[in-house]
Amino acid sequence: MTPQMIFLMFFGGAAVWFGIVVFRTLSMVRSALALLFSQTAVGVMFLLMQAEFLGVLQIMMMATEMSVMAIFMVMFMMDPGGMGAMDMTHQKRLSLWAGGIGFVAALAVIWLADWGPANLQIPDATEQTAELGRELLGRSMFIFESAALMILTAMVAATMVAIHPSEGRKR
Amino acid sequence: MRGARHGTMNALQRIAAAAMSRDLCGFVVPGAEIARAVGIDLGDAGLRLSTTPRHANVLVVIGRLPAGLLDAASVVYAQMPRPRAILTLGTNDISPLPVPDATGPLTQAGLEAAIADIRRIFAMAAFQPDVENFEAPTLETSTEYTCPMHPEVVQEAPGNCPKCGMTLVERETAGSAHRGHAVPEQKREVAAQKHSKPVAVCHDRSKGGHSADGDNHEQHKTHGSGHKQHHMRAKPDSTEAPLQYTCPMHPEVVSDEAGSCPKCGMHLVPVAEAGGHSGHDHKAHGKAHDEHSTDNHRGGHGGHGGSERVEGVEAHFMSMVDLTRDMPASADGLKMEWIDVPFGPFFPGLPGGLQLKLTLDGDAVATTSADSLVGSSDPLPANPSSPIEFVDHLAALSPLSPVAYRLLACLALEKAAGQSVAPDIARARLAVVERERVASHLGWLAVFGAQSGSSWIEKRAAAFQLKVQGAAATDVTTLKPKISTFLAKLQRTPLLAARLSGIGQLLANDTLSGPVARASGMASDTRSDDPVYAEIGFSVLTMTDGDALARLVQRCNEITQSLDLISAVGSVARLEPHSIGAASGTGEAVVETPRGAARLSLTLHKGKVIAADIKTPTTAHLALIGDVAEGQELGDALTGIGSLDISPWEVTS
Amino acid sequence: MTVLIVLVALAVGAYLVAVLESWAVHGRLEPARPAISALALLGRESLLARTPDRLFFEAGPVVLLLAGLLAVAVIPLAPGLIVTDLATGALFLNAALAYVLVALIMAGWGPNGAYAMIGGWRFLGQFVAYAMLIVMPITAVAMRAESLSTVDIVTSQSTLWNIAYQPLGFVLFVAAAMGLCWLPPLDLPTARGDLAGGIEAEYTGARLAVLRLARMVLIMALAGATVTFYLGGWLGPWLPAWAWSAIKILFVAGLMVSVGRLVPRVREAQYLEISWKLGIPLALANIFLVGVITLVVPI
Repeated sequence: MTPQMIFLMFFGGAAVWFGIVVFRTLSMVRSALALLFSQTAVGVMFLLMQAEFLGVLQIMMMATEMSVMAIFMVMFMMDPGGMGAMDMTHQKRLSLWAGGIGFVAALAVIWLADWGPANLQIPDATEQTAELGRELLGRSMFIFESAALMILTAMVAATMVAIHPSEGRKR
Repeated sequence: MRGARHGTMNALQRIAAAAMSRDLCGFVVPGAEIARAVGIDLGDAGLRLSTTPRHANVLVVIGRLPAGLLDAASVVYAQMPRPRAILTLGTNDISPLPVPDATGPLTQAGLEAAIADIRRIFAMAAFQPDVENFEAPTLETSTEYTCPMHPEVVQEAPGNCPKCGMTLVERETAGSAHRGHAVPEQKREVAAQKHSKPVAVCHDRSKGGHSADGDNHEQHKTHGSGHKQHHMRAKPDSTEAPLQYTCPMHPEVVSDEAGSCPKCGMHLVPVAEAGGHSGHDHKAHGKAHDEHSTDNHRGGHGGHGGSERVEGVEAHFMSMVDLTRDMPASADGLKMEWIDVPFGPFFPGLPGGLQLKLTLDGDAVATTSADSLVGSSDPLPANPSSPIEFVDHLAALSPLSPVAYRLLACLALEKAAGQSVAPDIARARLAVVERERVASHLGWLAVFGAQSGSSWIEKRAAAFQLKVQGAAATDVTTLKPKISTFLAKLQRTPLLAARLSGIGQLLANDTLSGPVARASGMASDTRSDDPVYAEIGFSVLTMTDGDALARLVQRCNEITQSLDLISAVGSVARLEPHSIGAASGTGEAVVETPRGAARLSLTLHKGKVIAADIKTPTTAHLALIGDVAEGQELGDALTGIGSLDISPWEVTS
Repeated sequence: MTVLIVLVALAVGAYLVAVLESWAVHGRLEPARPAISALALLGRESLLARTPDRLFFEAGPVVLLLAGLLAVAVIPLAPGLIVTDLATGALFLNAALAYVLVALIMAGWGPNGAYAMIGGWRFLGQFVAYAMLIVMPITAVAMRAESLSTVDIVTSQSTLWNIAYQPLGFVLFVAAAMGLCWLPPLDLPTARGDLAGGIEAEYTGARLAVLRLARMVLIMALAGATVTFYLGGWLGPWLPAWAWSAIKILFVAGLMVSVGRLVPRVREAQYLEISWKLGIPLALANIFLVGVITLVVPI
């Protein structure tokens, strides 16, 4: 057992623990930030597995994404501070089934898939970054560009949906 | 030292105490502008000013405070971290605050001596083994109950909301009116409102026999399976289906009978309305609505007719569209993020004594209410007074422009007694009022600098104000070029125009007066009717835009104009009321104070003032706060309010 | 050892900048002032607001301090004098700075006070206004260096500093950096006239001392980043490398803390408007220009 594996387990555990905290807390802000720290732990796991660029990117992007989520939850939820001890869960049985099936499916994929031999020749971080760049601007360019366009469309559409009610009120 | 921190003076704490004695951070009540108006320079005495009581260790009380302000000051004191001290100037009577640690006369020397005392006390006694508690009387709280959805519903006893039937939520509230700047307790309450605003608290858990976590087993027994009921709701196409009720907040609660939710106590709503939008079957949906449109017992929640429906927005359970239907909506269309925040009476950037309560919608101001804690209702001293007393009383009413009110009283008295003044005295009086106008406008610029975070404007304007106050005419003439240079540089400050233009725009109307009116293009200035002014070539200056920038430029221009007028007169005199004798009669006078025209009418009876009625410009301007602030972002709103130059002291009821 | 040297350098630098800031605010040059103020703060009570989110209240200043320290870790002070020379250093700096936002949200939400809460959410509202103008100029810098390593970025400027190569990026980066450490005129989260201290308003005593220290570290980190990306880092004639770094970083930090005192605070809406409508297009133009120059003119 190498130190790398111990740390990997520790941060894996932290990611799962924070994931649980997301649902255990009543405060929306705590919930959002717990999700952030769960994702940050995943980012640290990337770093430990020597995927430096991906790890740093994960840690960076999640900070802002989850913060934005926090404010939306505060804006739209009934009890953002969790001070009213309001139960906001619903469809528990369905969720339990869906979660359980998803978990089993993930485990099945992990155990049944043929992951191939472990790569012991890990390129250094500079090389990884360069390769990632070539991948993003080469073979995968079309995928990412179309994804970007879709996200942009979704943002515009979401804005339109959001302003629609007030348009109605003006009439 | 009453505000000492618990502990003993060992070596480490001695060092900390020595550091604290050199790092005095003052929180000034009623405000730094009052200190400047009486000629005290706090910075020069080695006191750093704090914007919040949390960062201060000395409470500086300037002059005698009205009772309401003392209560607020006691709240501020309660907020300051220990070790803390109280320094009073010109007053000893500050109950309910504890006895001051140092006190002095209302002069610069008095302040310096008191600060030296405070430093000594801090160095010697910042840590004490036995410390007294201080409880601000206004902070005694009581419990009240309010509806999370309808903040206007406030009751003393627990119960259900008469509007929606939700269980009322407990909250603490200040014992008396909301006071104090950034009062922790109030803020806690305010923030608690935010945090718990639309909270459906399940206080009354015995009702349904459920814990908040939801004992599913029991729930099933009582109400049937929530899951199953979801399926039933998914099939509303059969209009004959028995009517079912559910909770808008807790969809798993489904009942065959109308009633209240066992979890939160809200009235149950018919399934289709609470969010039983039937998938994509619009026909069934419409029918469901017809069927329930007569059902209005829920006081508005839910009951959305087809016309209110927004196409494409589905009303699900916990739907914000349903739940916020009756809540006030702000310009951005988002509901449920309103918080009530007190600003003042000691808010940095607002004149001390002004109590603002803003309802904030996110970062924008939704509603305002403004109140003066220092305004006086009666211009007359308690008993029929001699003219001298009356003049002093009226001048003391307005510490930000005492000279103008002193002159107002003198003029009215002389009118009532049928006297007239010699031309040279009239001119010297003019000069002294103009000098005060310069000082007052410079003082406003200092407050503006503090509010907008531009410390050089604050410092320079304050320094000039202190120099101009009480300066002889020749000194004023030597100061004039320096002040003009400062004003020119001020108006060229980068980002200044961008910060101010378009803020707090006011159209010309009769409630405006003074620089506020003139900045909106009204040539309203009582000085233009005065022959003494006409003699030395006074003409009314106006601007056209009527926004905060115009008001700033207007005040700058008026400073220059007043400086010219003082130079033209060449002398300033102290205002002394004439001896009235035992005259009787009535008199009316008007003076253009730095904030606008003030009118006074009084009745003399055998040399005593027996009745007086005063109209101040600020009283009308206070009502403008709503126009200026509502719908604006917080920063812009406060800039707009600041640009009105409100003196809470002059507010009469 | 390197860590220790960097930390000592950071402490000295932060102290000197604190002296400068005190001079800019109060108009008096008092070299002992930050030490006295810090001691006085430590001697005061550190109050806890009523019904706070205790975890966030305590964690806010600490997270801010950690974010600042992590950002400092990738800033080279001299050849070999860097805590960790990551291959993705420039990106790592961004990642560390992203947690400034998280820290401020915690500090704003934690004390359960309206002013603090508005301050924290304000900072989030401005996020795109400053974050984009941090990231996009760095992209252009990395394009020229053809590396994300901060050491490579410094050495890429040996012929011409980036301030001359891409002045547009420099201006945008410094403005965004000031927004990120909420220095006037962009001090909206703590705005004195609007929020009476905002996120700082409820912190007292030792916790306030940590918060202020963290902000000073953040200012140093951003000044260091500016020097690394635009002013050639340790490069310079005659003096040793570390001295050049020190001089440049102190100069930039001093400029950042003092220049804003002369102008009024920027309105929130205008800040956003300028950043979105003017700043982001300019940053894109900067990337394009740098790309063209890099390909066409070998400097």
